[in-house]
Amino acid sequence: MFQNNLKIVWRTLRKNSTYSLINVVGLAIGMAAVLLIYRIVDFELGFNKNFENYDRIVRVVRHDRNAEGENWTTCMPLPAANAVEQAVPQFEEFSRSRDAWPTLTVPDPNGGAPLKKFNQPDDMVSFFVEPAYLKIFKLKLLEGDPNTALRDNGSVILTKKWAEKCFGDAHAAMSQTVIMDNLVTLTVRGVMAEMPANCDFPIGCLISYATLEANSRNYFYGEDNWGACSSNNQAFALLKSADQLTAANEVVRTVGEKEYKMEGGLENEQKVHELQPLSDLHYNAELYNPTGRIVTKNRLRILSFIGLLVLAMACFNFINLSTAQATQRAKEVGVRKTLGVSKGQLIGQFMGETATVTVISVLLGLTLAVLCLPLLKLISDVPADAPFVMLLQTWGFIAAMAVAVTLLAGFYPSIVLAGFDPIEALKTNTMSRLTAGSFLMKKQGLVREGLVVLQFAIASAFIVGTIVTLSQLEYIRQKDLGFDKNLVYSFNFNSDSASMAKMPVLRQQLLQLPAVESVSLCSDQPSSGNTWANNFAFPASGEDAPFNVSLKYADASYQKTYGLRLVAGKWLEPSDTLKEVVVNQTLLRKLGISNPDEVVGQELRIGSRRKVRISGVVEDFHSHSIHQPLEPMLIGSRKIYYNWAGIKIKPDNLAATTAAIQKAYDEVYPEQVFSGSFFDETIAQFYEDEKRFSNTCKGFGLLAVFIACLGLFGLSIHAASRRTKEIGVRKVLGASISSITGLLARDFLKLVLISLVVGFPIAWYFMDKWLADFTFHVDMNWAVFAIAGFAAMAVAFLTISFQSVKAALANPVKSLRSE
Amino acid sequence: MTNDQCPIKTMIKTVNLSKVYRTDEVETTALNNVDIDIKQGEFVSVMGPSGCGKSTLLNVLGMIDSPSSGDYFFNEQEVGKLAERKRSDVRKHNLGFVFQSFNLIDELTVYENVELPMLYTKVPANERKKRVEELLEGMNIMHRKNHFPQQLSGGQQQRVAVARAVVNKPKLILADEPTGNLDSSNGDEVMKILADLNATGTTILMVTHSQYCAEFGNRIIRMLDGQVVAENVVKRYL
Repeated sequence: MFQNNLKIVWRTLRKNSTYSLINVVGLAIGMAAVLLIYRIVDFELGFNKNFENYDRIVRVVRHDRNAEGENWTTCMPLPAANAVEQAVPQFEEFSRSRDAWPTLTVPDPNGGAPLKKFNQPDDMVSFFVEPAYLKIFKLKLLEGDPNTALRDNGSVILTKKWAEKCFGDAHAAMSQTVIMDNLVTLTVRGVMAEMPANCDFPIGCLISYATLEANSRNYFYGEDNWGACSSNNQAFALLKSADQLTAANEVVRTVGEKEYKMEGGLENEQKVHELQPLSDLHYNAELYNPTGRIVTKNRLRILSFIGLLVLAMACFNFINLSTAQATQRAKEVGVRKTLGVSKGQLIGQFMGETATVTVISVLLGLTLAVLCLPLLKLISDVPADAPFVMLLQTWGFIAAMAVAVTLLAGFYPSIVLAGFDPIEALKTNTMSRLTAGSFLMKKQGLVREGLVVLQFAIASAFIVGTIVTLSQLEYIRQKDLGFDKNLVYSFNFNSDSASMAKMPVLRQQLLQLPAVESVSLCSDQPSSGNTWANNFAFPASGEDAPFNVSLKYADASYQKTYGLRLVAGKWLEPSDTLKEVVVNQTLLRKLGISNPDEVVGQELRIGSRRKVRISGVVEDFHSHSIHQPLEPMLIGSRKIYYNWAGIKIKPDNLAATTAAIQKAYDEVYPEQVFSGSFFDETIAQFYEDEKRFSNTCKGFGLLAVFIACLGLFGLSIHAASRRTKEIGVRKVLGASISSITGLLARDFLKLVLISLVVGFPIAWYFMDKWLADFTFHVDMNWAVFAIAGFAAMAVAFLTISFQSVKAALANPVKSLRSE
Repeated sequence: MTNDQCPIKTMIKTVNLSKVYRTDEVETTALNNVDIDIKQGEFVSVMGPSGCGKSTLLNVLGMIDSPSSGDYFFNEQEVGKLAERKRSDVRKHNLGFVFQSFNLIDELTVYENVELPMLYTKVPANERKKRVEELLEGMNIMHRKNHFPQQLSGGQQQRVAVARAVVNKPKLILADEPTGNLDSSNGDEVMKILADLNATGTTILMVTHSQYCAEFGNRIIRMLDGQVVAENVVKRYL
């Protein structure tokens, strides 16, 4: 029986090759899309599960609430970390942790230039940690003793790859010396394996916490008060058992109740510590993650939903084409029924046929998905070389998907086909009778029209999404950020006193390069991910302002290098210490001052003591991504905090200029590692997420439109063949080709038009929410919908017109005879 | 042995069998209180003008349609009110159909079409092969066994359809104008096959417009406006 059915399937597929192709290609594309999205979702949901103690690991975080709003932070003031460690009996292990992005050099034992020097790759993070860290994360060492490897000042554990890079192999690295940031001498006390790709701890090396404590000045560490805090200072703990999270949290919340109050801070401010489970770390956008690779579960849900939509659209094609062709199989159903086949058996047979088509599509879809794996980097972090096809769970998913598709695509057509009345089905001229307008046929027609509307509604929503995201990206690219991001080459450098002493030399050498226009040293470039906030008062003798101000330290060349625009007063004079500041327009606006000239020459107070003079007012510029609002800001000179250099260069021969900059750097700092980048590229990275979302809309939108058009193409073939006689009669009666083309196209275009009415409000709702996430964004005006509507109609018309024109051109004599 | 001593069993018996089709506006009585009685081994022809209810009667007796009222006994079992599933079961094991337009499945070869009913009655593969080949040989179309229906002449297609109808050795063959689409020579051939089958004990009920074909049977039921208006026994003069 199975064999017999299989033969029927194969022969039916061959007989209706166009429809079969549409079904198989559509389903294969849909499945490939779902498989790729599954790849992403599975990768993201697997984050950090490599740790054996996954369920028991927690990070101590803090929830801050004040009059301005609320905020989550990972920062642990030093006394708070000590207090939490002491207070919580449910902790089995506890370790403070501090993120680091070190450079490593292998010194020449003979005292010459370093033998090797490395920058930590961008996708790695190193950590200063306590010995308990190894127990919390159950990290196994390939070399060294886990009990002592992180005990002493100057101890480091390298990953195998780093150990090999520095010393040839893991064993040889043991007890060797490396220099971190050209500042701290470390001895290799252990070697560990590389972390897997889907882990939020892509460890470069682990440095003993004692090293951080011993070098606190170099690493701005050690302010022993409850008010000082950096998101890089974190604390991790291992619960005695996973079910103790609630109990431990209750204790943690009480830590610092009194101390934070005594610290003062903003009005009505509340700071409460909480425990964040490791399982939340990769998905919580409100909390800092050293890799910066946070993917909210909502994003994964949206992505999954997009995949399901695309697959559902392919299933709709299957349903539409199957039911449209159902009349052709009426005779078969009738015959089988007279042979005594029950409705259930027929449903089984047709489901089997769908399953066969599904299996063929699965194989094709899998091939497509594998070919498209390298494209995943356009929308995700999934490495192209991560195992996929060989995983058992992938095949489990494929099997589940095949069953779901078979049911979704096959069930309704099976019911329709198996439901044919054998008497009707076996009458001659059954086809014309069935198509002519029985209730069943009308109902199926409505279902088909509904599904076409749904498909094009989805496709048009994707078109709107693509237009809006592309417009927003273009808006970001073209937006005047308040500074000039082009042709600024920058690098960061060590800010220890020895390095700083040589900086004037480097600066002078750089300024002598003909392509260099200016050089500026600063703590932060105009736009960065960092925030350095402080309380302040204006006038200096007054009360603290009810909001904090953001601080940037920069030299006198900062304005010229980054093209900042002054609206009043003048820029900072050259100075190594903080004597005067430039304020921005937002600060004045928040203080209720409308005339910028008013404040020039007046004093303000930063923190509790330091009074400085306002030398000028700078036009607002975006110090963060345009997701965030403009913030009140002060810029002043303070040499000890400089660790960035920005170099404004001329546009000719950029490669030669950057090479010359590196050469100058290497000459002045032969022991340090150079790492330069263009400022506009750094800014572009802020919008990587948006770029990915836009690519997602573009990619899946294209697929959605293609699948919808495939379906429409199939239905137009069916409609043309069904109306062959009508077209012949009309032509004999004198109808023109254009009127016949219009006749056939009209019905479909009407559906597409309805789909726009359905799809546009949905698209508007979601894209409005997406845009609301940007403080500065494009407006979604009627033009977006006009373009999207025109595009959808045009694509639909082109799809239909091929078949319509063909039908209209057919010789009526032939078509009437063949009827 | 006489009939009194061993009565021939009644295969089909209907009592006040009616079939009414209703739409929103019209009610059409296709069968109106039909009482018929067909014994095992009979070859009964049903005649009458178009629209008199012949085909409806065949469909109801073939259990692909159900009566609106009245009783239908098949082998002394009331089947008119059976659920679809049970009717399918009775049909599968007892009936064979032959249609005017052959109704072969285009996607299956001659061999596969004939084999199909046995797949539903779960006949073992060896037995299926044997029976199909015997029948195709008997119908003289063995050489066409791997052809598809469209590649055959009308006569050949109808022979395949008859082979399919009898392959499960049904007790009753229902034929709806089996020669309607055939020329006289092919029609004759099909009628002879049916007559031969009847001679081997298969009961046949055939709807036809042709008096000539009807006389291959041993009784003719004449219908008009959904009612049986006459019954004649066919007399053969040697």
